[in-house]
Amino acid sequence: MASAFVAAFEILSFGAIIVLVVLGLGIIASMMGIFNFAQGEFVLLGAYVTYLAYSHGVPIWVGMVAAPFVVGALGFVLEALIIRRFYAAPIVAMLGTYALGLIIREAVRGLIGGFYLTVPEPIGGSIDIGTMHISAWRFTIIVITLLVMAGCYLLLSRTNFGLRMRATLENPSLARASGISTPLMYGATFAFGSALAGLAGALIVPVFSLYADLGIRFLIQGFVAVMVGGVGSFIGPVAGAGVIGTLSAALPWVMAPVVADVLVFVLAIVFIKFRPQGLIAGKGV
Amino acid sequence: MPKSISVVKQALDANDGGEADIAMAERGPANRAEGKSKGQATGHARAGRKILPIVEGLVLLAALVAPLVLQDYLTVFATRVIILALFALSFDLVWGYAGIMSFGQALFFGSAGYGVALLARDVNVTNIFLVLPAGTLIGLAFALLLGGFLLLGRHPSSVIFVSLGTLTGSYAADRLARGWYYLGGQNGIPSIAPMSLGSYEFSEGPAYYYLVLGILVVVYLLCRFLVRSQFGLALAGLRENEQRIAFFGYKTQHLKAIIFTIGGAIAGLSGSLYAFHEGFVWPNMVGVVVSTQVVLYVLFGGSGTLIGAVIGAVIVEGVSFWLSDNYRDIWPIILGVLLLLVILFRPLGLISFVLGERERVGSFGAKIKEKPNAAP
Repeated sequence: MASAFVAAFEILSFGAIIVLVVLGLGIIASMMGIFNFAQGEFVLLGAYVTYLAYSHGVPIWVGMVAAPFVVGALGFVLEALIIRRFYAAPIVAMLGTYALGLIIREAVRGLIGGFYLTVPEPIGGSIDIGTMHISAWRFTIIVITLLVMAGCYLLLSRTNFGLRMRATLENPSLARASGISTPLMYGATFAFGSALAGLAGALIVPVFSLYADLGIRFLIQGFVAVMVGGVGSFIGPVAGAGVIGTLSAALPWVMAPVVADVLVFVLAIVFIKFRPQGLIAGKGV
Repeated sequence: MPKSISVVKQALDANDGGEADIAMAERGPANRAEGKSKGQATGHARAGRKILPIVEGLVLLAALVAPLVLQDYLTVFATRVIILALFALSFDLVWGYAGIMSFGQALFFGSAGYGVALLARDVNVTNIFLVLPAGTLIGLAFALLLGGFLLLGRHPSSVIFVSLGTLTGSYAADRLARGWYYLGGQNGIPSIAPMSLGSYEFSEGPAYYYLVLGILVVVYLLCRFLVRSQFGLALAGLRENEQRIAFFGYKTQHLKAIIFTIGGAIAGLSGSLYAFHEGFVWPNMVGVVVSTQVVLYVLFGGSGTLIGAVIGAVIVEGVSFWLSDNYRDIWPIILGVLLLLVILFRPLGLISFVLGERERVGSFGAKIKEKPNAAP
């Protein structure tokens, strides 16, 4: 019983991490039609900002709060300078954002070297429930993920800003005619997606430690999750992330980790092949 | 198929308007075989079209004399570059000509490398006439499986799906190779026995260099023939406007699967050459790093021209080698910035500095008997 509970917690917390990473990716992919290959590097940057704060003696949580803003601001600038040119051609966008990601990744590698740098958990220790111990920080990640998910949903579906964002992405010319500044909205959407990646990076760095290839690992998992969930809605990628995250965390409990690792990808690709629209089809929030 | 050439040409040229259509039909016959066209190269319409053979000749010449002027360790490096150029060629066929974004080309490169490494390690087979075909076949088989799965089917696959599918395949293979003890895990398979021909062993050096150069030239010529054939015309149509080609009755998915498989076979050939040249294989060879590296070569040099892929591989590897002494740390950053600049401002790659759009697209198929302006 106890071990089953611990396993369930592990699976849940890993699922939450994947959801967190995929949120930003999904918003950019669904709303803007761009598969952002630099998203993994935005995660890396978020982690790096947190590490930077820690290594300069600033409390870690300050770094974690700062990370989404720093990465979001960078995303806004990059959108205005570079990403904006790619809207017409999704494949070129993939290559362009890949180049961006390469620059960011190698810059970070140059800064930290080939090391694995650890950042302690801001909330250490464990939560004891009876005889079971679960990591307090992982529990915090789950809670924050839930809050962020709810926040994103409310932002997109209930606020004026979300409405304008959706209007811009659904029908740009009509939105422009209605007096919405579409370039600003595109920039804001991209910045928002980047900020989510930055937040994800900041939160997971105590768990995974900081290294230059941190982003790649999540990038591919994230893409697969977005495709499984279905591009075009907010809820689709989240559902896909839940499925992929749960599977990648759960399968190693029942089979050799190597096989499980590969099996998740194979299953996902087969699933997408036969259901290209994903788990949740259709537009909407 | 020949009858439909002019039809497909219309599809290709529809964006440029009728004039280009006529021009294309006009220069169709001339550009097909360089040797023949020399004699008939008259008239100003063809005057600007002969840069490509010059570039190809210069590259070949440079490649031929390279071992004579280079020091030994540089010849070894040059051999590696030639092998990578062969690899780049395979990606260029798939992306530059058919418009299939294969972000996992290293899967075929690396799996063939692993395959021949296993042959050498476990079965002691290193004969060049066995291992190279074996590597090619492995690449072909994997490409057929993956390409068949991703590209064929009742619903045509989206470009995004294919690119992510190949990327995921490559990533998954990387993870598998890292975790599988039989394949050597993280360390890969070290000290593979050299490739042999009878009692002769191909070790690093001029002999190996000329061997791979010979293979590159043969494969290059085959590819050149392929992309200038009617099959190549259909592929170019596919790249420019897939739907229109489908409406003409071509089975676009089959065409794509075929070229994808051919690309995989070439990648397999280069992968097996690479494995024997380096003497070891390691998980990166199947992974995302090498997959994206080949994308870099081709984008840099110029996709859609075969020589562009070769030039891209030579330049990227050459500059990286040259800079690696002093600027090792920042070179990848420079590479990323250059790549971004190329994508933003020179989407056709460096080759487009010397090569016009018309020559890049080229002309196709056999000589057309009908009057050129009868097309519309």
